[in-house]
Amino acid sequence: MIPAAQDISLPKAALAAQEKTRALLADLWRRNRPVIEARLATLDRASAASDPMPEDLRLAALDVAHKLSGSLGMFGFEQGTVIARDLEQLLDDPRPDARRIAILAGQLREMLLS
Amino acid sequence: MHSVLIIDDEDDIREIATLSLEAVAGWNVYTASSGAEGIASAVSLHPDAILMDVMMPGMDGPTTFKTMQQTEGIEHIPVILLTAKVQGMDQRRFAELGVAAVLFKPFDPMLLAQQIANALGWKDQVKA
Repeated sequence: MIPAAQDISLPKAALAAQEKTRALLADLWRRNRPVIEARLATLDRASAASDPMPEDLRLAALDVAHKLSGSLGMFGFEQGTVIARDLEQLLDDPRPDARRIAILAGQLREMLLS
Repeated sequence: MHSVLIIDDEDDIREIATLSLEAVAGWNVYTASSGAEGIASAVSLHPDAILMDVMMPGMDGPTTFKTMQQTEGIEHIPVILLTAKVQGMDQRRFAELGVAAVLFKPFDPMLLAQQIANALGWKDQVKA
């Protein structure tokens, strides 16, 4: 049976909408790169800080990790969200493990900016 | 056509959610970057639904929701909270507030409109 015209046009419309959304997302990711770089720089500063990590820096890095965990998966970086969640958990500790933060921040940088 | 007000302090989340609801579902989208701005927008625009972040500086999502509940004219607008927190305790706490639904970040931009439509019982089909 030949499907009605509406049944044929719906998948096409869906595909077009998905295509358009993907293109807009790619453009948004490009425009968003300076924000990502600034967030990674905050994580780098936190990992290089003296022990104990200054509280204002820890809270700034915690905020950055939270934002990254909430946004990276939307751009297709699901593993980035997993790493950012680990960072968020580490930074939630008043005396976070700076070495572990450096490793995870390095993995994020490699994944997002290479 | 549905209209949704997005309240989130993060520019990138507002942009992704906007393009997701506009491009995929063809809905009207309004945005606000704080709880206070969101309440003012809801009062003047009367959207069909509100999608709001939990963690915002100043007035957070739950506080904004409670204020909306006490604001004449917008108390009936369904609110969906958006959170990056994944702990079960947080989820229950948000659900107990009386919001229409709780959605999680990161969301899939292709599916966000469908998730909202499902949560609110909107029957119209979302394209993607």
